[in-house]
Amino acid sequence: MDASTREQALELASQFEKGWISRRAFIRMLTALGLSVSAAGLFADTALAAERSEESKAATNHTLVIDPAKCTGCLSCAMACADKFMQEIAPEAAQDTINLEFSRIRPMRFQFVDFVDVCQHCELIEWAEGSRKHPCETVCPTGALHTVPEGEGKPGYTGGGYMSVDRKKCLGIDMCGRCLEVCEQQFGSGIFFDPLEGKAQVCTRCGGDPACVRACPEEGALRFIPVLVNGRYYANTPDEAAEMLYRKMFNQGRDL
Amino acid sequence: MADTYGYTGKIARVDLSSGSVSTLKPPEEVYRKYLGGWALGMYYLLREGLADPDADPMGPENMLQLLVGPVTGISPNARTAIVTKSPYGFNCTTLCGGQGGSNLKFAGWDGIQIVGKADKPVYLAIVDQDIEIRDAGDYWGMGAEEAEMALRKQVLAPLEQSGSKLSPEDMTEKWADLRPPGEKGIGAKRLASAWVIGPAGENRVWFANMVTEGARAHGRYGSGAIAGSKHLKGIVVRGTKGQKFADKKKFLRISRGIREREGKSHFWRSYGTAGISAKESNVLGGYPIRNWQWESWADPKTVKTLSGPFMDRLSFVRKQSCPGCALHCLYPTEVTSKKSFLDGTITDMPDWEAMGMVGGNIGYLETGDMDPGDPYSGTTEDMVQNAAKSQYTTRLFDNQGMDFIEGGALLGLLMELRQRDLISPADLDDIDIRWGDVESVRALMVRVVHRRGVGEVLARGTYETARHFSRKKGDEGIMYYSITGKRYAQPAHGTRSNHDRNALEYVTVVRPCEHTGGGSGAFMKEPIDYEGAVQGQNTTAAINSMVYCLFAGGFWGDEGNVELVRAVTGWSDFSKQEFLRVGERAYALSRLFNLHALNVKNPRQEWDSPSMFPRRWFEEPLPTGPYKGKAAFGGDSAKLFDQALPQYWKQRGWSADKGIPTRDKLAELGLTDIAEDIASRLRG
Repeated sequence: MDASTREQALELASQFEKGWISRRAFIRMLTALGLSVSAAGLFADTALAAERSEESKAATNHTLVIDPAKCTGCLSCAMACADKFMQEIAPEAAQDTINLEFSRIRPMRFQFVDFVDVCQHCELIEWAEGSRKHPCETVCPTGALHTVPEGEGKPGYTGGGYMSVDRKKCLGIDMCGRCLEVCEQQFGSGIFFDPLEGKAQVCTRCGGDPACVRACPEEGALRFIPVLVNGRYYANTPDEAAEMLYRKMFNQGRDL
Repeated sequence: MADTYGYTGKIARVDLSSGSVSTLKPPEEVYRKYLGGWALGMYYLLREGLADPDADPMGPENMLQLLVGPVTGISPNARTAIVTKSPYGFNCTTLCGGQGGSNLKFAGWDGIQIVGKADKPVYLAIVDQDIEIRDAGDYWGMGAEEAEMALRKQVLAPLEQSGSKLSPEDMTEKWADLRPPGEKGIGAKRLASAWVIGPAGENRVWFANMVTEGARAHGRYGSGAIAGSKHLKGIVVRGTKGQKFADKKKFLRISRGIREREGKSHFWRSYGTAGISAKESNVLGGYPIRNWQWESWADPKTVKTLSGPFMDRLSFVRKQSCPGCALHCLYPTEVTSKKSFLDGTITDMPDWEAMGMVGGNIGYLETGDMDPGDPYSGTTEDMVQNAAKSQYTTRLFDNQGMDFIEGGALLGLLMELRQRDLISPADLDDIDIRWGDVESVRALMVRVVHRRGVGEVLARGTYETARHFSRKKGDEGIMYYSITGKRYAQPAHGTRSNHDRNALEYVTVVRPCEHTGGGSGAFMKEPIDYEGAVQGQNTTAAINSMVYCLFAGGFWGDEGNVELVRAVTGWSDFSKQEFLRVGERAYALSRLFNLHALNVKNPRQEWDSPSMFPRRWFEEPLPTGPYKGKAAFGGDSAKLFDQALPQYWKQRGWSADKGIPTRDKLAELGLTDIAEDIASRLRG
């Protein structure tokens, strides 16, 4: 494929991806560019994903920001996250299963309010608390919960100061659970435990290109943007957060 | 089933009398034949012998089934179906959205069947394979919303409630620094779903329903009364197991396509069903106004009050979706009003049926002395206040757990009887119920919910109430104002213009007088397209057996109905024909169930007869609107009942004299073993 054909093909691919043209039309147009039918089909299936991961740059200093007025609680983010991480943690079962328990982002439905539960990326404050680490990271006795320094990590997963869990080191919910305990005591409820071994799962921001953001069908509901906010100032447990949202949206306090 | 994809292969059976829980494992051919939801539910109702006229709907023998389908779980537009025997005696098949269906599948169940009767209030707590019958004494009497919020807190997966693992020895100085004293533990996540009944269900109001997520209801035919009769306050489920697919890649590709197509639907994504009111109903002639005396306001300005754009600007706060859905048709709203009991009401929009039935139908939109044929006399402020009345009434019905279609018809009946001086306030415990009077609506519905005074009569619904007053007053003419089809309320779609719904559709649907039958478009054609109508009805019934949302049907198409089922279940030869057959089975079984359960000997006289439907359709031409002067079937009910109906039955392979599926038809559908016995008795 020469460069201009490639460019046109990618443009078509993006139209296809956005749903403006059907798969059938996409393949027909590709063949018009000179691709064979089978090559076009293959392109539709594979090249698209490859191109995207090649092009997308892991964003640093970005935060997941949720607009609760735009979020509809449709669970698309959780489905995408669960699928992605189940493939990492339980690749065999993931071949035919999607289980939301592997998701690190969970919309929770309260009455007329949806709260999206996800790690809010809290940091301790050095002058007051003697450390700038994440609280969960601080209390992890084995160092399983750790921050991946910028530029490190697996290919396509280069971090940006995001957290990750070393599953070999994590003791799991049955032995430890300190990370979630400190999170729920003071911050939010950002740690999840996988249903197989009960080991901690925390949002890694996919190393800078979050699958949940790509899956969200509501424009502006879930964004990954360069806002520098210490999560400890806005993380709340799901019920408290939902009650606050309820006040904001419906001007009433209510025990949710 | 050997390897279960899509399905879990298990249905839980709970006997509330004995407190026992067992597991039913339907064979694969049963799943394939009935899919789930409606058709599967009817199959079990018949097997259970509930078609027997002596089987008491409110007795312990009745079975309340909460069912999902093959794709329910991760796929878009998941719903649940409740299938049971209605307090009205026919089948109660009623569907509802929300996250609960997915949660039930993730817990490892394709459904729950509940029989028996608990001796005290209980709720079911389901966490994966563990099903507990728990005491609900603390929640009995609560409104649906409050009960749901309270119950969902009680059901946590083991991962969420393991408590602290730290012992005092673990408490180093640093850890103690970071961690404040006080109650420690883990359990802030809230991931369970719940279906509950309100006080109306507890008191077995015939049209009580089961509600989830505050404003989603298994709306019609009285599912809540059945739960109430079993002392079942609610069902709470938290599933952690996910869903298995035969071909996950294909499943993801198709479901992404569905979601993308939905994402481009500006009709749904703008106002949901509230977009129907001004644009379709008032223009096509189908807005229920004052118990269907009108179907369009003479002044289009009047309808503005209850239209999507107006209510959106006034009160919509956000949008809410069912799993994987980009249509988000539920819009939570906050009401502001000068009347203190309306002010601050939080509800959903209302959606179209409520706008019609507890809006236009009970005279909420007119101001002062105007009638719907007059120019609009109010101000925008009046519109705001009138919308608030409708929103408040919607919330009243949702929170008490009642069908606002049946309730709106009941109120419309009483208001029209009062308008015509056929009843007086003395007949309604001194409540003087007038068009648009929200205070009286509240006062009367509270009596219905608690079956106090005249509420005892009204709690049996519109048709029985009309019968009560017609006997009491010795005036058979009162039945004219019961706008019901086969003893259940006509929903907010009119028949007279023949551009909204077709009268034959309401006559032929087997969930009595349902508005979502799917055959109306073909029935409206001239000449009537019987084949298309039957196919439309079968498609809808099959969708309700697959248990995904009818609103999404157009975005699924054959790709969803066939290819998605193949990808999920692995039935590589599953065909469209087979899909439609499921709907056809649901129709045949429901038809036989209704006739047998109600002991109908001669359907043409007792059931599929003009006496079972509003005479207003035929005898009273539309007084306003673009179809002024029109009546259903040109005003000639004989055309419908004597000519069209037998042809429809013939098209279905049912006998032309009684509308009973023939022996050959039942054999063709593979229903001989469960249905031929009843059918042959009905054939006479």
